[in-house]
Amino acid sequence: MPDPSRVDEFEKVAMPLFTALYNHARWLTGDRADAEDIVQETYLKAYRGFASFTPGTNLRAWMYRILRNTFLTARSGLRALESIDDDPAEIEQLPAGETPESVLFHRANAETLRRAIEALPLQFREVLLLCDVENLGYKEIAEMLSIPIGTVTSRLLRARKKVRQAIEEDIVRGSR
Amino acid sequence: MSGHTNAGELERYADGEIEGQDVAAIEEHLAACASCATAVVSHLQMKRAVRAAFSASAPPDALRARISGQLRGTSGSPAAWPRAAWWVAAAAILALAVTSALLIDARRASSVRELADLHATTLASSSPVDVLSTDRHTVKPWFEGKVPFSVPVPSLESTPFRLIGGRVVYWRGRPGAYLLVNKGAHRISVFVFMAETVPTRPATTAVSGFNSVAWRSDGLQYVAVADIAREELDRLKDAFTGSR
Repeated sequence: MPDPSRVDEFEKVAMPLFTALYNHARWLTGDRADAEDIVQETYLKAYRGFASFTPGTNLRAWMYRILRNTFLTARSGLRALESIDDDPAEIEQLPAGETPESVLFHRANAETLRRAIEALPLQFREVLLLCDVENLGYKEIAEMLSIPIGTVTSRLLRARKKVRQAIEEDIVRGSR
Repeated sequence: MSGHTNAGELERYADGEIEGQDVAAIEEHLAACASCATAVVSHLQMKRAVRAAFSASAPPDALRARISGQLRGTSGSPAAWPRAAWWVAAAAILALAVTSALLIDARRASSVRELADLHATTLASSSPVDVLSTDRHTVKPWFEGKVPFSVPVPSLESTPFRLIGGRVVYWRGRPGAYLLVNKGAHRISVFVFMAETVPTRPATTAVSGFNSVAWRSDGLQYVAVADIAREELDRLKDAFTGSR
């Protein structure tokens, strides 16, 4: 039987992250039921592994990693990992001074945007949402996903480029 | 800075990743260059749109309770939970939430809820402050280099409040200043973050038995949380905003 005071101690620091972890699970899985199972599993694993967590370090990043691993080892996660090419050379090709769009985002409806982002490979979707929804900095994202900062930057650029292209195509289609 | 800023740098600027003097250099360029300025606006619009499209639903309260129950060993593993039963409970909770005015402020209140949790967690920890001093001339410089802004610590003389100390806190990954202030036996947490890093503007509200007062000044977002009356927190706010 778990010691109730240990559970209290864990909950005190871990439950404030509940909303963020749930939202994170929602957009990792795209499915509410899966998200709930994953969040529940994450809290259980985190509680069991709490002794290995170093107090004072980033609890949020630690729990996100557990959540991400839980997602990836579940059936839905294995399908989600596509191979992408983290080639930084593509970024250098964007010419200085010209930016790819003057697409006005208030014209894009939320549904199109959501579909475009959900269509992204997981690795692109993750960094985009960690940056724009969870408001993490590049360094924090890099630590959380155990990738170099340069990879974070290049994935963000490419993710946003893909999303813009999808929005533009949608606007063009809509105006025909 | 001659010529245009490259696209990657503009995006990093929009993401808040540019620091120090480089910020001034970019902004100087943006003031003179319409196409780069338009690009930055577009980046910011996209960020806002992404956040709006994915800042989702409040998580079901039933899930929170289920997790808590499971940790205490009173319920089974996720697979064993009867999902149908959960749905019935959730529908009832959802119906209540929809008709409640709280839903409108849910997002703003959730910011405060997180800070209320942080208030509780910090006070419960073995060292709520890392710099222990009632002297603001000790506490203010202590934050230098630890948080990316200058922390205004007001004089609390001739107020019923007393500075106890401070520490660095993290909220959604962003570093901020935490000041512990006492009023008699009551402990008040004052959180200070850079306004632009705060995802959802916290509300002045009551949550989980605490009152909170939130305000912005000079690019900083302040939130004071305590189990004292709102009017008393307003007096603390006055002490902060009155002194420059």
